[in-house]
Formats: sequence, C-alpha cells, structure tokens
Amino acid sequence: MNREESKIVNPDVCIRCATCMGICPVARVTASFPGPKQAGPGAERFRKPGDPSVDEWIHLCIGCRLCDTVCSSCVNVSEMNLLAKAKYRDEHGMPLRDWMFAHNSFVEKLAGRVPRLSNAVLRNPLVRRLLDRLLKIDLRRPLPVYEATTFRQWFRTHTGRGGKPIGYFYGCYANTHERDVAIAAVQVLEAAGYEVVIPRQECCGLPALGQGDVGEARRMAERNVPWLLAAVRSGLEIVFTSTSCGHMLKYEYSRFLEIPDADEVARHLHELFDYLRDLQGKGQFDVRFRSRPLRAAYFAPCHLRSLQIGFPSLDILRRIPELQIEMVDADCCGMGGLYGFKKEKAPIADAIGADLTKAVERLNVEMVLTECEGCRMQIQRLTGLRTLHPIQIVRDALEPGAGN
Amino acid sequence: MRYDLIVIGMGLSGLMSAKTAVDAGAKVLVVGKGTGGLCLFTSGIDVMGALPAGAAMGEALPRWIERHPDHPYAKMGWEGVREALEAFAELFPPPYGFAPEGEGNCLLPTGAGTTRPTYLVPATMRSACRLEKERTLLVGFQGFRDFYAEYAAAGLKCRGENLAIPEIAGRNNSATSLARLLEDLPFREQVAAEIVRRLRGETHVGFPALLGFRNPMEILKDLEDRTGTAIFEIPILPPSVPGMRIFRRFRQHLIARGATFLLGSPVSRILRNGPSCTAVEILHPPVTQVYEADRFVLATGRFMGGGLCADEETMREPLLGLPLSASLPREHWFERSFLEGREHAIHGVGVVTDGDLRPLDGAGRPYAANLWIAGTLLAHQRWIDEKSREGIEIATGYRAARKALAS
Repeated sequence: MNREESKIVNPDVCIRCATCMGICPVARVTASFPGPKQAGPGAERFRKPGDPSVDEWIHLCIGCRLCDTVCSSCVNVSEMNLLAKAKYRDEHGMPLRDWMFAHNSFVEKLAGRVPRLSNAVLRNPLVRRLLDRLLKIDLRRPLPVYEATTFRQWFRTHTGRGGKPIGYFYGCYANTHERDVAIAAVQVLEAAGYEVVIPRQECCGLPALGQGDVGEARRMAERNVPWLLAAVRSGLEIVFTSTSCGHMLKYEYSRFLEIPDADEVARHLHELFDYLRDLQGKGQFDVRFRSRPLRAAYFAPCHLRSLQIGFPSLDILRRIPELQIEMVDADCCGMGGLYGFKKEKAPIADAIGADLTKAVERLNVEMVLTECEGCRMQIQRLTGLRTLHPIQIVRDALEPGAGN
Repeated sequence: MRYDLIVIGMGLSGLMSAKTAVDAGAKVLVVGKGTGGLCLFTSGIDVMGALPAGAAMGEALPRWIERHPDHPYAKMGWEGVREALEAFAELFPPPYGFAPEGEGNCLLPTGAGTTRPTYLVPATMRSACRLEKERTLLVGFQGFRDFYAEYAAAGLKCRGENLAIPEIAGRNNSATSLARLLEDLPFREQVAAEIVRRLRGETHVGFPALLGFRNPMEILKDLEDRTGTAIFEIPILPPSVPGMRIFRRFRQHLIARGATFLLGSPVSRILRNGPSCTAVEILHPPVTQVYEADRFVLATGRFMGGGLCADEETMREPLLGLPLSASLPREHWFERSFLEGREHAIHGVGVVTDGDLRPLDGAGRPYAANLWIAGTLLAHQRWIDEKSREGIEIATGYRAARKALAS
C-alpha cells in the first residue's frame, strides 16, 4: 500500500498526551513494544517513503484499536501501525505461517470439507509438535474444532417462517467451528418476525490484514463488496454476529482499503444487537423471555468497542428474567485473533489474558458471554468456563413459540 | 432509542453529569471523543488551590465566591460545591477514597520536585501531606523514564534513589506495566527488599503513583508492612494511573446502571428543532449515527478536549457556535511572558450561562430550552491560576445534570 496515497496518516495531530499508553494492552505487559505513542505517531515522524523499515517490533501491535478509541486528538494510531506492519512485511517477507494465516479462509475451506480428518490430524500430538517446531504455532493453544456440518449446510435445509427479509453475514468461524452462534442468530431473528437471507459472502479478509498482507485483504474485500452491495440495493439491511468481521466490513473496507461502494454497504451493516436494540427502542422487538437463573460475565471485545455502539447486547440481556450479568473489568483478552496462536507472541497473549482471567474470577460466574470468537477461545482456555456468544443465551431464553 | 439525557464529553465533568443522572434513574447516553483529561490527572481533587495556605475551605471559599460573582462556583455556592464533592467521593468507598486533610488545602509533592496545593487527597497520598524532608526517601525505578527520584528529591530537599530490579532494569517500561507488576506479590517482595537495602533511617518512602489499578491501598499497606515505613504515591507524568482508577470506576458504575457508553468518535452536530436540541450526530466515517434525547449536557472541555477551537484570529465553540464571554484580538490572548505568573486572558474565555448553567445567546436569553454546560468550557473561571479544575468539573457536572433532570 502506498503510504503517500493514504490520507489517514498525520502524526502531527498527536499532542503526546500518553492517554493511549494508558490503554495499550501490549505495552502493559511487555517492554518489547514501545506502545502506541512511540510505535504510531512517534515513529511515523521518522518514516520516509524510500527508507527501509526498521520497525522490528511493529508486529507486536495486537491490532485491538483501543488506542484509537481513547485518543482525544483523533489520531488513527492503529492504522499507522498497520501501514508500518505492511511495509515491514513487504521488505522482510512473510513467514510461511503468517502466509497461511493470511490465507486462512482457503485453509478453512479445505479442512472444513473433511471435518473428521481435519480434527484427527490437528489433535494429533505429533502434528501439534511439528506445527510448533516448524511453523511456530503455539503448542499449548487448542486449535478450533471443525463442526461435522457447517452452518451453510444447516441453513440450506432450513425453512424460515416468512416475514420481513433481513441479510446476515455469519463469518467463516461460525460457519465451520461454531455454527450454533449463527443458528441462534437466525432463530432470534425469526422470533422477531424476520426471514433471514444469506447474501453471497466469503472471508472478510481480516486475517490477512492482521498479518500485514494488505493485497490479500483487498482481494477479499473486492469480492465481498459487490455481493453485499447487490443485497443492500435489493433493499436488505445486513446484520453480523462477529464483531471482528463486522468491523472489517463496515470500517476497514471503506476507510483503510478504500474499496468503491464500501461506504454504501457500511450504512446498511449492523451489529446484530445494535439492530435489536434499535427495534426494542421502537417497540418492535416483540419477543417474550423465560427466566434464566444464571450468573454470567460479559466481556466487550475490542472490535465491538471500535464499532462505537456501546454495549448493545447488555440492553437485550437485561430483559431476561433472573439472568445476572456482570461486566468484566478488562480491556483486552490478549488473543488478537491469530496473534495468540503465534509462538513468539503467546507469552504476551497469556499475560494479557491472565489479567482478564483474574477479573473474571473475581465475579464468580458460571459462564462468560462475548461477541468475538477469538475472545471466546482465549477465555474458554484460560478460565475453563463455558463461553458463549450472547445471542445464544438470548435464543435459549426465548419463550417457545414466542414472537410473531 | 430515545434517551432522557445525552452527555457530550467523557472528562470528569461529563462523567460526573452522567453519574448524577443514572443515580437519579435516568436513561443516559455518554459520548466522548477520547477519554477526556483523566489520563493527565494531577492526582488530587483541586477545588481552589489559590486560597491562602492554612485557610479553611468552608470559610475561605464562600468569601472568595462573594468576590467572584460570575464564577461557576457562584451558581451553586460552597454548599452546592460540597454536595457535589460528596457525590463524587461516594463512588470511592474506603480504603481507596478521596478526603480533605484537615480543613483546607494540603501541599502534595510532585514528580517535578515541587509541591502543589490540593483539597481532596487520594488515600495513597495522605502521608505525603506532612512531608518531613530529612526522614523521607523518594524511590524510582531503573528502566522507567517518567519519574527520576534524584531529580524530584533535589527539589524537595530529601534523598532519592532509583531501585535496580533485574526484571525491569535496562528496559523502557511503561507506567501501566509497572502498575501491573506492583499488583504481583513476587515483584513487590523484590521492590520492598530493594527499598530496605537503601534506607538510611528514613521513615517515609515516596513512590511514583503506580501502586496498581484496583486495590492501591492493599499494595501500599503491603509495602508498608514489608519496609516498616510509611509509603505514599507521588503524581508523575501521564498516563496517570490514579486518573485511570477514577475513569474505570466511573465507567464501571455507569455501565452497571445501564448507561450507553460511546467512547471514541466525536459528536459532529447537535440537531435543533425550534427552541430545543433534539439529537446528536456522531460521525464515525463512513457512518453517521443519530441519537435522540430530551436533554443535553455539553461537557467538551477547552482547547485540548475540542470544546473550544482557535485559528490565527478567532476562538469559537465548534458544535453550536455558542457565544463566548469575550472576543479578544489575538495579541491579547497571552501575556508577553508565558510563565511570568500573570494570568493569560485566553484562559478566562468560555461559554456564558445563566444561574442554571444554561448557555445564553447574544441577547442574554437561554440558547436552547434543554441544553446545559458543565466543566472547564464555562466562562469566568481560570482553573489554571485558581487551581480549581476538578472542583469546577465535579461541581458543574453534578449541577448541570441535576438542573437538566429537574426541567
């Protein structure tokens, strides 16, 4: 990506107030990363287009974007980091592992075809040791399990109940690893009187962007945008359940990748709970809930925070009788999507995760709810508690035959 | 969704307005372009640091207010200020709370080796109020660049040393990483041992304000037990860990009480319909969100927070173009010498309100029926010279929300 073409980068609006240093989850656990103030606008002042990149620590930025949200001067620190990461990658090449991660959706598609074989191979201790040794994929971190059948397969045989059509972007992870999240979304939307439509879609490209592979991310975006645009122009609003995919589609496509028509798509993309909260405000989310006597913690993922819609799932969950929800007092889970799988970054991911674990333990809960699949993997592994997408609890609480 | 109150600004004044409103049962949305000034917090709640040393706040401030009838404090009087301070303090139950030391201001040491007057002192700084120079040791850390113990000690005329903890020495550690490490017992044991090794009979030890995020008093007591000294925190360069404690506590309280908490994007426009404000537009390119409410509190701060803008010639309030208290030609904004000690005229400029904190238009009538102003955006205060920033933010944040909800 040509930096001069980008209108985002302007280090001079930074006033060096260090508020971002207060929130950065990486600088909180390691001195190897200089933190957003130095890595972003600080280093940016020394970066010259023709000069080689010397930012050998830039890959440690976890990409949470919390620095952007707290900056009172509206510096897009994380975008500067992303550009610097891409430049470093361009010059120094990409390890095979990161190339695979960038092309994650392709790997997923292949492996998802033969779920039993994939699971057997990926659970094999010898394979894991080889992956750890050769590819530096951290041995201790469980790899996600492939579902026997995908969400797409489920949806193909599913008949809706009619109603107002609504589009749904389910995301690759829910499709192959956690199809109940997507099924729950469909069921809740149907209870609210909607007919769910699945516009043509593929991986949003965030895994590629996270590796600094802007070209690959752009290719994915250029495929998705026309498909989603067609859906939007046919009159659909589109909801998403993965806050990471959603943030990519709604903001990175338009602002960072500058894909034509991405702006128009963005205006019709909604985080599912944000959409439901709007309906609720208009008195149109007309469902009855039965009581769920449970004590659950809620963790707000970084990309949800970056959507800047508040915590809309809380506004829905609070309607469920006897469900006690406590907010986890932590800013980041440490997983950073694929970041936590990388052996050299696993200690950072675990240190950030340790703080979150303590925060969860203080709450004394039975389960943890969070919208992001990466957060769920991390929290599940570190706390041993059941972790769900909040939409699954909402679905479980639906009165049978409730809604329209 | 329609809110009872939208608070624009996430500094101490906006957070205080939001807290006051959720405590009264209102449906609140608070929106901030960034986290306001709490990361730059000086660590004490200044109310009127400029009062003579030793003066009792409850006697001296009412007299000061009488002499400054336009000041924001005059709109609520000392009683109103005290009520607001109490509402703030109730968010911080013991052991980590904010309380006055004695009747008036207390002088707290700073990381620059100076002392500054403040009114409500955080519990972790209490033992610094009666600093006995010859019995005090200041400690910093090798590998931490935001506090130099010898430098601060030279100004305060005591002794200072930088601790050498192998785990962190020789690296460039952030304030948050040290605050996190200090929450860990094994690290604290090393720190305590290093302090004991360096004591030369001192009974008080000053620490950069990094004693953890959650239970600073627990950490402080533990270090006191291990070193046999009285420990206190010293405010240092940003990011301010004590400020983050305040921000996190407000955030936790507001979310638990059902407030919608929108951190990150600026309000680009306030929509009006006749005499009333109706909604805010929040710009998060490429999307603009609109949120409607019955009442609005504007707590956007001054130039750093974006509440006021200036170009080469003029100053303005950017969201509504509210009239400012004075339109000064550029050459009168600042005194000739920046640090000479005389007040700069620019600091007195702000939004003029009526007694209920409603902004006034050019003709002296309320600008809108449902808009209130809180914090340092207000005119006729000079918080830098008065040393009154947090007091103004807390008192007017509280007052604006109370007036808004009573309407």
